[in-house]
Amino acid sequence: MPAIRPAFVVCLLAITWLTTTVAVRPLVAQESLPEQIDRLIAAETADYDTIAAPLADDAEFLRRVYLDLTGIIPTIEQARTFLNDPAPDKRVKLIDQLIASPEFSRELARKLDVMLMLRRPNQHVPQTEWHTYLQQSTAANKPWNQLVAEVLSNDGTDPATRSAARFVLDRGGEVNEITRDIGRVFLGMNLECAQCHDHPQIDDYKQHHYYGIAAFFVRSSLFTEGGKGVLAENAVGEVKFESVFEIRDKTSTGPKTTFPRILEFTAIEEPKFDFGEEYARAPAKDVRPIPKYSRRQMLADAMLDPANKQFPRNIANRLWSLYFGRGLVHPLDLDHTENPPSHPALLDLLTENMVARNYDMRSLIRELVLTRTYQRSSLRTAAQQATEQPADETFAVSPLRGLSAEQLSWAVMQATGFADDYRANLGAKLTEESFYNSLVGVEQTFRNIFGEEPGKPAKGFEASIDQTLYLMNEPGFQGWTRGGKMTRTLTQMPADNPAAIAEELYLGILTRKPSEVEVQEVTEYLQDRTGEGRALALQELVWALLTSAEFRFIH
Amino acid sequence: MHCNYACGSREHEVSRRAFLQGSAAGAVSLMGFNQMVQADNTAQLASQQKHVVVFYLAGGVSQLETWDPKPGTDTGGPFAKIQTSAPGLEISELLPYTAQQMHNLSVVRSINHKEGDHAKGDYIMQTGWRQAPGFDYPYLGSSFAKHLLPADSPLPGYIHVGGGGSKAEAAFLGPKYAPLALSDGSSPRNLERPKEYTLEFDQKRHELRNRISQRFAAGRRQADTELYNQSFDQAVKLMGRKDIFDFSKMTDKELERYGKHDFGRHTLMALKLIEGGVPFVKVSHTNYDTHSENFNFHIEQLGEFDQPFAAFMADLADRSMLDNVLVIVMSEFGRTPRINQFVGRDHWGTAWSICMGGAGIKRGVAIGKTNENGTAVVDREVDGGHLFHTYYKAVGIDSSKNFYDNGRPVAKADPKTAAIDEILA
Repeated sequence: MPAIRPAFVVCLLAITWLTTTVAVRPLVAQESLPEQIDRLIAAETADYDTIAAPLADDAEFLRRVYLDLTGIIPTIEQARTFLNDPAPDKRVKLIDQLIASPEFSRELARKLDVMLMLRRPNQHVPQTEWHTYLQQSTAANKPWNQLVAEVLSNDGTDPATRSAARFVLDRGGEVNEITRDIGRVFLGMNLECAQCHDHPQIDDYKQHHYYGIAAFFVRSSLFTEGGKGVLAENAVGEVKFESVFEIRDKTSTGPKTTFPRILEFTAIEEPKFDFGEEYARAPAKDVRPIPKYSRRQMLADAMLDPANKQFPRNIANRLWSLYFGRGLVHPLDLDHTENPPSHPALLDLLTENMVARNYDMRSLIRELVLTRTYQRSSLRTAAQQATEQPADETFAVSPLRGLSAEQLSWAVMQATGFADDYRANLGAKLTEESFYNSLVGVEQTFRNIFGEEPGKPAKGFEASIDQTLYLMNEPGFQGWTRGGKMTRTLTQMPADNPAAIAEELYLGILTRKPSEVEVQEVTEYLQDRTGEGRALALQELVWALLTSAEFRFIH
Repeated sequence: MHCNYACGSREHEVSRRAFLQGSAAGAVSLMGFNQMVQADNTAQLASQQKHVVVFYLAGGVSQLETWDPKPGTDTGGPFAKIQTSAPGLEISELLPYTAQQMHNLSVVRSINHKEGDHAKGDYIMQTGWRQAPGFDYPYLGSSFAKHLLPADSPLPGYIHVGGGGSKAEAAFLGPKYAPLALSDGSSPRNLERPKEYTLEFDQKRHELRNRISQRFAAGRRQADTELYNQSFDQAVKLMGRKDIFDFSKMTDKELERYGKHDFGRHTLMALKLIEGGVPFVKVSHTNYDTHSENFNFHIEQLGEFDQPFAAFMADLADRSMLDNVLVIVMSEFGRTPRINQFVGRDHWGTAWSICMGGAGIKRGVAIGKTNENGTAVVDREVDGGHLFHTYYKAVGIDSSKNFYDNGRPVAKADPKTAAIDEILA
């Protein structure tokens, strides 16, 4: 097999942005990465210091960082402990504690699942096996480049590693679907329009970029082996492409082809075999052919080539977007010259860092949540509220981000106290894994109702009627508001101390203490509701907090 | 490689960025709970509102046993053709009730979409486009829901009776326009207030929820909180209109006319749903994939289809609703003229027919022709693109305008084709 040639730039004009990086040197030698990030965020907006929201208070920070890092809101006890802790460095300590927890691995695996599979249904690899694979990968802090290499190289034939093949197999092994998503998910470039012609609106996206990626897969297709779908590869087969515009305008010089290549990097030439000598195992009926030279096996190396800056840049941008509500390049899959990042120097810095850290996602995530930018409030000061809301891409105010389907399920379980009931049931057998397994069915229900449309990148917050009717009327959901530990505890609390009831409600569900107005509201709500009526009133309070906008968003 | 490109080739000059700025949320409804329920309790079939009802004969109904009979030829099969209420327009004798409604219907006999695969034919007939990897067009239920559902309507825009439905049908139009499937002919889920709550306490908890949410939203970015809070308003409104899903009120007399079987009841449900204000309803009827015993199966299936469909057309006319309701009877494809060794007909996308009527469609005409034994189109060949331009035009929508998928223009119907103007009134 020929080695991949050192890549070099063919078309400098079109793609300088792919291959060049601006070296960003800290102004002060000791400046930490979070400090650099904050400085670069501020630098792009003239009146940043005026418009930037103050730092979030402890409660707002606590809820946000629990959901972002572990996918669940804290228990009342965890909230009390943190809020009462006088230590000045308690935020850093909490971040380190959460990042070290098994819940962090689980939550990062969920995020990677949505990123890689876009909520596609099962085809050949069961989701549970894929989730396990991702969860074990994040638990071992597997670097992103290694994970991607495993995912792109796996054809599903080895039972021991087959779960990693879900990326290709559950796209039906279909060359166009795989090509499009490789562009989107690993390069941050939606090359879909370039399938039929150079992208008409985006000069950077060329038809040969699309077919360069397609060429890795054009010889591969789905094959049934031992009753299971796997990917088989032929020794022959080329991509052919011709611009439909040129065909229409009769200017086409005929179909073109290309060897496999990533964007403008050198096409990977391949060894020639004599006719009949191409296969290690020749194709025959019900026999999976094995070519001597596999194009598909060349992809991971080409993708991970250090010269391909688009690869680290994409994951840096995607990791950023997970915690800041939008990409520095936005949308995430439209990285091109005409759609520059909101903070170019920052994206370069994060890209460099991704490489310097050997694609260690966990350590970069830690730096991101340590920033002041991450820790700003979503609530502006009274003076700021008199002025226009800053644009989202200034990152001057913490955005409201809808809880993911999974986060919502675990947050509901935690807030209603159902999670505590399950923990108690597990007793000595309680581990992150046993707890997860006991409630994964609820997570699946929420995924079905609140998950994004299969195969589509999320388009921002959506609230559909069937989701809301579920929250309003579904008997099981009502059951949690009625029968969970939260409502039971409230029912047993002395009726003459509504302030304590309000604190339990707000701390348990919204992860903060109630304001005076809210204590008053709870007090009035419970007045005159005695006996059975009181239990129902408490249930109404739990429901109202649980379905409030404050609960629905990470803020 | 040729492909059915997704990106609306002529419209590429439209600025992408301009469309990325659009914001989702409109004004917040601050109506109280009672007002919301009452405001929509009166049926609101506004005289201008257009509706579309599709009868989908899944599996591929035979054009030769329905809209384009060829008795006495080598391909014609055993059935005769009969006169209809539209002078000069003849259809198969298997549709005697429908024949009496043909003065309000027309047929297109010259479809050639060249597709003999169920899923691919289905895609063409329900989206107007040939399937292309990597891009999904919305199904017509979602497209028409998007166009015809009034902005303030609490109702679902697209209901599918007698079959399933996937969010994916709405493609980039979003889940708001996804089909609501009433597969077993029952109401949608979770429309009933939880039984532990009286109306009073249900309202109290909603008012509380709203107050807490408004307090939270104050001083924060509100587009998404408004979207979320509005969904509660809309859900309450829809609960207030759950009467449209109350099919228990169908009278014996109605059921007698529509037929006391699933398809009869589903067809009557379609009538009630559009009367209630739902813009798009699809009714599915299955078992037309007659690779063997084509003729017996068509006697049976069309015997079930004919009477309810005719009753539906008659009721639209009686209620003066015809001008506002586009009715389409379609399949994924037709069936081969050649009769196979199992007395069946196979998949056939090359020369077949559909029936449509109401709205802006001419009454009682036949467009296009196949040859004597139905093996080829000889006049006015059309495919999915022509049909979709025609559907849009029939309900007064400009099909030359684009949809926008995240800012990217997407043609509503294939710009290489145009409406069948001869069938438009």
